[in-house]
Amino acid sequence: MLQATSRATAANAVEPSGPRPRSVTAGRVGLYVFLAFAALFFLLPMYVMIVTSLKTMGEIRIGNIFSLPTEATIEPWIQAWNSACTGLNCGGIKVGFWNSVRILIPSVILSIFIGALTGYALSLWRVRGANLLFAVLLLGAFLPYQVFIYPLVRIYSTIGIYGTMTGIVVTHIIFGLPLMTLLFRNYYASLPIELFKAARVDGGGFFQIFFRLMLPMSTPIVIVACILQVTGIWNDFLFGVIFAGRENLPMTVQLNNIVNSTQGEKLYNVNMAATILTALVPLVVYFISGRWFVRGIAAGAVKG
Amino acid sequence: MKPRRRKNVASYVALIPAFIIVVFAYLGTMLWTVQISFTDSKLLPSMNFIGIRQYERLFATSRWIISLENMVIFGIGLILVCLVLGFLMAAALDQKIRFENTFRTIFLYPYAMSFIVTGLAWQWILNPTLGVQQYVRNLGWTNFQFDWIVQNDRAIYVVIIAGVWQASGLVMALMLSGLRGIDQELWKAAQIDGIPAWRVYLNIVVPMMRPTIITSVVLLSLAVVRVYDLVIALTGGGPGISSEVPAKFILDYLFGRSNIGLATAASSVLLVIVLVIITPWLYYEYFRPERAKGGK
Amino acid sequence: MKRVTRVLLGAVAMVGLVVGVAQADPQKAEVFHWWTSGGEAAAVQEFAKAFNAAGGEWVDTAIGGSGSTARPIGINRIIGGDPPAAMQFNTGKQIDELVAQGLIRNLDDIAEKEGWKAALPPAFYEAVTRDGHVIAVPVNNHGQNWVWYNKAVLEKAGIAEPTTWDEFFAAGDKLKAAGIIPVAVGGQPWQLNLMLNAILLSEGGKDLYLKVYKDLDPEAVKSPEFKKVAEIFGKLRDYSDPGNPNRDWNVATGMVISGKAGFQFMGDWAKGEFVLANQVAGKDFGCILGPGQKNFIMGGDVFIFPKLKDEAGTKAQDLLATVMMSKDAQVAFNAKKGSVPVRLDVDNSALDACAKIGVEVLQDPDKQIPAADILASADVVQSLTDVVAEYWANPSMTADAFIEKWNTAVDQAK
Repeated sequence: MLQATSRATAANAVEPSGPRPRSVTAGRVGLYVFLAFAALFFLLPMYVMIVTSLKTMGEIRIGNIFSLPTEATIEPWIQAWNSACTGLNCGGIKVGFWNSVRILIPSVILSIFIGALTGYALSLWRVRGANLLFAVLLLGAFLPYQVFIYPLVRIYSTIGIYGTMTGIVVTHIIFGLPLMTLLFRNYYASLPIELFKAARVDGGGFFQIFFRLMLPMSTPIVIVACILQVTGIWNDFLFGVIFAGRENLPMTVQLNNIVNSTQGEKLYNVNMAATILTALVPLVVYFISGRWFVRGIAAGAVKG
Repeated sequence: MKPRRRKNVASYVALIPAFIIVVFAYLGTMLWTVQISFTDSKLLPSMNFIGIRQYERLFATSRWIISLENMVIFGIGLILVCLVLGFLMAAALDQKIRFENTFRTIFLYPYAMSFIVTGLAWQWILNPTLGVQQYVRNLGWTNFQFDWIVQNDRAIYVVIIAGVWQASGLVMALMLSGLRGIDQELWKAAQIDGIPAWRVYLNIVVPMMRPTIITSVVLLSLAVVRVYDLVIALTGGGPGISSEVPAKFILDYLFGRSNIGLATAASSVLLVIVLVIITPWLYYEYFRPERAKGGK
Repeated sequence: MKRVTRVLLGAVAMVGLVVGVAQADPQKAEVFHWWTSGGEAAAVQEFAKAFNAAGGEWVDTAIGGSGSTARPIGINRIIGGDPPAAMQFNTGKQIDELVAQGLIRNLDDIAEKEGWKAALPPAFYEAVTRDGHVIAVPVNNHGQNWVWYNKAVLEKAGIAEPTTWDEFFAAGDKLKAAGIIPVAVGGQPWQLNLMLNAILLSEGGKDLYLKVYKDLDPEAVKSPEFKKVAEIFGKLRDYSDPGNPNRDWNVATGMVISGKAGFQFMGDWAKGEFVLANQVAGKDFGCILGPGQKNFIMGGDVFIFPKLKDEAGTKAQDLLATVMMSKDAQVAFNAKKGSVPVRLDVDNSALDACAKIGVEVLQDPDKQIPAADILASADVVQSLTDVVAEYWANPSMTADAFIEKWNTAVDQAK
């Protein structure tokens, strides 16, 4: 146990560990210049989106995408959240917000749990055919999602979960499984094997070791998994709209209906605002867990 | 260690969900896809087999060939640039930098954004009459040219730029954590020996981070094979069909053009390509019998 | 008794076993469509109002996009046994398979009672008829071959509305000289295809158009007339600007509105953009069917009615179909949608100047031209858009090479 603790501490060290800076040198200035330019590259589209979202459509039609709004208005933001029409219902993107949350929470928890369990069984236990199972899983991850729709709809309607909350959660578990398994498999394989052996000698069973030893040590990788899954599931449109049923449509359906129109008029300012608003939940998750995010990947990826 | 000791009924029980998912969802769908690719399915899947006609059409279609070429260009470009840029950003952030949190968030945020609209911002920025080119020209450099997005042979590189924007933050985060796992002593020792920092990075740090790099490559490869939103939002596959990609081909035929047979044939080809590429790696990483469990 | 329908070999779906809550109330009908933007939604609202006033209850399910997003979702709901009462669909061959599988209702009784055959343009009636049965309700008629122009810009450059292609290019040269982009092009494949079809009809004429799309006749495509069409299309590259690739159509319309560009080829939905910018048809902006021969390419949407298990749901469908085709609802819906009513026997006095031109042309059955999607399969039409886009984006491709690619694409996809 001691070993595990010390190891976890080492992995959790977030202090920069690179070569120690000397004084202000040309290299140091160059470093900041590089970072500043990189930041500029990353922020440019965000800048365009924000200024566009604050302009009136008349001003957007003029076509100066970099200019600041002459008369800034937050009307597009209010409209995007509250009153943009997404069909007959003009309630903006807020309509599906709670549905998204209700889909997100069980999907994230269950997909991570099953991924962790699978990764644990595959990395520390000898299971016949385990490698084949894993290979098929990884290969399947490369098929376009859309191809899955036709067979899955038939399977779901046969077993009676088509168009239900269960259906959408199961779908997210299915598509989260390859990546989650990969993450946890690598993570558990990188832990000191002695820990596991000791637990076995002490008579720990499969699930006992998983719940008492492995899961408590998995915090960092769970955070990583959380961030990947929250982003993926929150932004999902296709599965939500097909498998969740009318009553449970996620927020991205509203976003799609606002943004994605061929022959109708396009309110670019509202579209930009709606997109930023929809991304807020994953952004908040990044922000809160940013510290652990890096820490978690450290622990998982140091040894593959 | 004797394998017998780690065999356990419970381990099989624990794998039941994964087993069901793999058999019904993944294996089932893969077999279904291959099977349908030999039929003449249009709007609805049918079982009217027509041999390899869909494959003949597929490889006689210039758009599919261009799509495959573009996937290779995009794949090489995206993976290389993301790895290099991700590593550089991570190494830069790892130098006891001020505002590290801010920088990291800035590099990472594109990953959270839906690309349908973010892509529109990119499309405008890259458009020669709306974006950067016009802006710089208005500043006085009237000969400035940056119009790759409207050039047949350059458009795919623009997709790489936006792809890098979206994905390199994640790679940076992975790399940064890899760097954080490296022993402080290494730097002290190098400093005492007077070895320049760049050589330590190149000769010691990068090889040590091999697992991180592999994780990044797998993540990026998935993005490469599935690339769709980026192309739709930026170029729409154009100019003409010059920046088409396989996933867009498959989706267009699956949904818009109601030719499920051709779409599944294309998916099957894609699957075979992936299989050919990843099998040696899978074997090397996970199948070698002599590989000791629990790290190397 | 439960009737298990074998929808597909190898996979059994139970159609109608799961009857959605939507059908619990006698006159409740869930309507599935992809009209989500402001103007479109306002149009749908007219249908909903009329349906609710007639004793129904409209349950709205909207999935935005061009239809290729929504259509597979709706189809999977039908297959999965949870069909909506009515679903928007593209007019065209895609309905055939649903009909063949027995998934959608035939509406013969209502069509007969309401006299649809007499009221609709023959091409539209034909488009919703399979083996003599009416299987869908057409709701709107969108003219696809309009040319829009900025009146002030043309006036200033001393240009009259062009009536031939020579005049059109002469006008383009004048605009160029004045520093104005002659044609605002949105270089997305579907937009380019509309432009080509407009040229095909105005230069090549109705017969060539029908031979090319209806008969898929390779000889017609090889004819000198078609080559001329291809050359005019190719020539337009020199009259557009380098920023055209992947430009949204409404950005192109914006260029005409702001006077940066003179003309735009686009369907009548472009009017919505002009109206949003407070411009008036016939005063600030003009519209041409042509230049050259005046015909009207009729596109539009239909609603199909999936077979439902319960009687109440079916009754609600009857009511909905009747309401959608009623004169009042047609006028109200299409006024908001920017299209013209599918019925030719309604009062069109409230229409704007451009729509009036369209309605006038439509009075002549000879000038009612079905859109390419109605005539050929989606696979053929959209595979051709690839060819058109490739040709547009590659100025070094000759018209002959284009023609050859066209025929190859048709051959593969038909």
